[in-house]
Amino acid sequence: MSTLESKETDLLSPRTPDPRRSARNRGLWLSRIILIVAAILYVTPIYWMVTTAVKGPTELAVYPPTLLPQQWHWENFSKAINFIPFGRYLVNTLVITLFSMVGAVISNLIVAYGFSRIQWRGRDLIFGLVVATIFVPFPVTVIPLFVTFAKLGWINTFLPLIVPTFFGNPFYIFLLRQFLMQIPFEISESAKVDGASEWQILWYLILPLARPAIAVVAIFAAIAAWNDFFGPLIYLQDESKYTLSIGLQMFRSTHQVEWSLLMAASTLVVLPVIIIFLLFQRSFIEGITLGSIK
Amino acid sequence: MYKLRSLVFAAALMMGLALAQTQVTFWTSATNPPDVKALKDIVAAFNAANPKIVVKLVQVTGSETDAAKLMTAVAGGTGPDVYMLDRFTVAERAAAGLLEDLNPFGANALASNYLPYAWAETQFNGQTYALPFDTDARVLYYRKDMLKAAGVDPNVLDPSKGVPSIKLIQDIAAKINKTDSSGAYTQLGFIPWFNQGWHYTWGWAFGGSFYDAKTCKVTPDNPGVVAGFQFLYDWAKNLDPQKVQTFLSTYAPPNYPPAQDPFVTGKLAMIVTGDWFLETMKQYAPNVDYGITYIPTPDGKKTTWAGGWSMVVPKGAKQPAAAWEFLKYIAGAPGQRIYTKESAHLPTWKALLNDNSLYDARHMFFKNLLPSANSRPPLPVGALYWDELTNAMNKVTLNQQQPMAALEEASSRVNAQLQQFCK
Amino acid sequence: MSRRERYNLMIGLLFISPWIIGFLAFLVYPIVSSAYLSFTRFSGFGVAQWIGWGNYTRMAQDALFWKSLYNTAYYTLLAVPIGVVVATVLAVAMNQRLREIPIYRAALYLPSVLPIYALSFIFIWLLNPRYGLLNLVLRWFGVPPIDWLGNPEWAKFSIVLLAQLGAGQYALIFLASIRGIPQTLYDSAEIDGATQWHKFRFITLPLITPVILYDVIIGLGLGLQVFAPSYIITSGGPVNSTLFYVYYLYNNAFRYSQVGYASALSWVLFILSVVLAYGIFRWSRRWVNYEVGS
Repeated sequence: MSTLESKETDLLSPRTPDPRRSARNRGLWLSRIILIVAAILYVTPIYWMVTTAVKGPTELAVYPPTLLPQQWHWENFSKAINFIPFGRYLVNTLVITLFSMVGAVISNLIVAYGFSRIQWRGRDLIFGLVVATIFVPFPVTVIPLFVTFAKLGWINTFLPLIVPTFFGNPFYIFLLRQFLMQIPFEISESAKVDGASEWQILWYLILPLARPAIAVVAIFAAIAAWNDFFGPLIYLQDESKYTLSIGLQMFRSTHQVEWSLLMAASTLVVLPVIIIFLLFQRSFIEGITLGSIK
Repeated sequence: MYKLRSLVFAAALMMGLALAQTQVTFWTSATNPPDVKALKDIVAAFNAANPKIVVKLVQVTGSETDAAKLMTAVAGGTGPDVYMLDRFTVAERAAAGLLEDLNPFGANALASNYLPYAWAETQFNGQTYALPFDTDARVLYYRKDMLKAAGVDPNVLDPSKGVPSIKLIQDIAAKINKTDSSGAYTQLGFIPWFNQGWHYTWGWAFGGSFYDAKTCKVTPDNPGVVAGFQFLYDWAKNLDPQKVQTFLSTYAPPNYPPAQDPFVTGKLAMIVTGDWFLETMKQYAPNVDYGITYIPTPDGKKTTWAGGWSMVVPKGAKQPAAAWEFLKYIAGAPGQRIYTKESAHLPTWKALLNDNSLYDARHMFFKNLLPSANSRPPLPVGALYWDELTNAMNKVTLNQQQPMAALEEASSRVNAQLQQFCK
Repeated sequence: MSRRERYNLMIGLLFISPWIIGFLAFLVYPIVSSAYLSFTRFSGFGVAQWIGWGNYTRMAQDALFWKSLYNTAYYTLLAVPIGVVVATVLAVAMNQRLREIPIYRAALYLPSVLPIYALSFIFIWLLNPRYGLLNLVLRWFGVPPIDWLGNPEWAKFSIVLLAQLGAGQYALIFLASIRGIPQTLYDSAEIDGATQWHKFRFITLPLITPVILYDVIIGLGLGLQVFAPSYIITSGGPVNSTLFYVYYLYNNAFRYSQVGYASALSWVLFILSVVLAYGIFRWSRRWVNYEVGS
């Protein structure tokens, strides 16, 4: 990773004269300090989550709260896993997430292409309609949408959570459109002169150039599906089909919340997402590097 | 040949058995492990006793008043056959058309078996929409160690001395309050509106009533309720409302875990809460010496209020007849006996109240309060009324509004919506 | 219409057809039925009773309607601009050429992957008046302790702060956009003696305006529909100071069985949102730049 970064620097920026270089070094140190402070700020919630996960009930009640657990209750993790059918929920969540991500990437890229790279009459008007659907308040669509899925016989299956992702999502259509609009149109024009169809242009020219934006959509869609609570809550009616985010709710009872177990379970729920992000980040950055060399 | 024939016969028999069995789906939002276990045991006992019906328990998450999952499922025709519903919302859900009327099954004949207030909560427009399940009661818990440390003899609060007066609680609390150098509270004697110290708690403690059936109007501006709110207003004013709020935000932040309850951690010496808190103390503060007594009132009258759950058959249930069989069992003596025994909740089935083997010594105190318990008026606008009262109480305990003004506002907002259901 | 135009229209519609099908299948019915229901008294079940403009006139006299509208406007007006600034700063920070940058990048993004349920719980502790990290830090600067969630004056702002923990999400979009800017632009600016600030102001900022517009529009949509934080943390309190519009709408639909009124509430919000979004789009023509290198 780091070698790639530094190679890129060497490749792309010409050697600068010495005085400016030292100014640049100073700038680097300044940004490093700012980044460290910001990183600490943003890591605090995670740190708090993980340390709470291994604290015992008595230690949770200590004032002021301890920064490091005095006793490490690793068994909280196994307790949390046994409190809910963790493995089964994990598999269910993975299935839904995977399909949702694939659906989001395919459908939104195609639709966004239609809204940005092809000129047709009424395009911007319909695009306005797409953006407008962002503003429909969700509570009011819940019941009619449920009835629609019930008529299709999809209740208590993953279909209501997966199938709609294959039909475009205004958030991602809009996002991809913004990126595709920035790609110079001469690229398409010259390809058309060479006889390329729109599909070919999308596949061979736009797709590689839009990789960073597609990666963003993939990450967003995956995390949204992973953390979605309301959808699985209402559409899944069999405990064997539940997802992890529903499992998290099980730690809350009528009068109290089991914090240590909740945080232990949350840590386990988040862990795969962090790994996915770290993996994606790599291809994400590489993708951009290739793109910008072109 | 013979072998094959018997095999086919056996298979046919099993299929026949499977066909003859009726499946009943039962949803509950309970997540507390002992409660869930008790429910599972009841289901297992019922299934063993009724070979023709198979009840399937499904845990659905969600808070007690938020029925989004149930509402969507019933609208889509995919709802359960039996649902465990907060009893106080039965009238509202019945009015909305979400529940099946149970009178055709003969529910009325069961009325006399239940505590009257619990039965009253299952009624709407003269029909029965639920069978009562468990119940609870609220009392004053006090920490003897904190009282002693402040130089108060804990025996003055012993229930044998009767209902504590408001004055007594004020005097004790004042001795316990502590501040740090900046003036922020680090320890308090009593915060009447904390935990189960609700609008209903104090409205009833001061002799108020919340609904007038004759005029079909809610009456939060009734003198007793106003007096209860005035008590909260003065208490807050005396301590500085924002400072008490900061104390709560510090030691009882939203969704605090049970181990962090300020009563458990010794930050608050007295609280009003329910019988389920016995379990919290056992689990998180087993060595703390505490007592329980009646909620203080100005006139020495015993008061408490009770809530609890109920069993309903949602509209569109596929097996209403089998569901009713299960309803009778779980909300009747057999089910409630298991639930009381295993989950330490209180029963609404009157006969079980006489079975002292079901309760430990502390629980007996709650049990004995039940016959005189108040319950929230079963109204089709129950949740709205609750929210408006809560809002009024917030304004009063922050001293943002006088009790009468805040309650009048609640009254007009709720009555405007109640009107459509009045005859 | 010329042949070419007709062809483009056809191919354009073909590309966006997934969205059209999804819109017709899953959205038209809920939207149309809510429009009808907004003129009725309807509990969610049984017969909807026509009451004309009754729900709308009721709204005008409903103090909580106005209160929740005010709360939501307050939230959106703060959260959107702060969100854009924080996301831009984070993105620029994430783009620094430091060897250890992947670590910072992951750190800044981490809170965004937490389920909102867990994040909200953690947030409550960070805001503890006496022991929370935020007041601890403020104390170094001599600021007296603030009761973030208990004081009605501060509660709304606390929810704005919570949203900033998830800013990594938007920073990622901004980062993708920044990484798409051709390096040659910076190089030639550097030869002309441009400072870091100049490069940001005259190259980076103009070229990320498409995603800034995206962030503003999405921020508007999410801001006007903010729901989960107050549902989980404050239940709308204290004294309704965090009773946001969609929360009130949700309560009407699922708590008070007033689906008719909830439908009317949602239409008012929808129309308001679309008008605002339209205004922003019109205004954006003055500052959004889709062309790279001009």
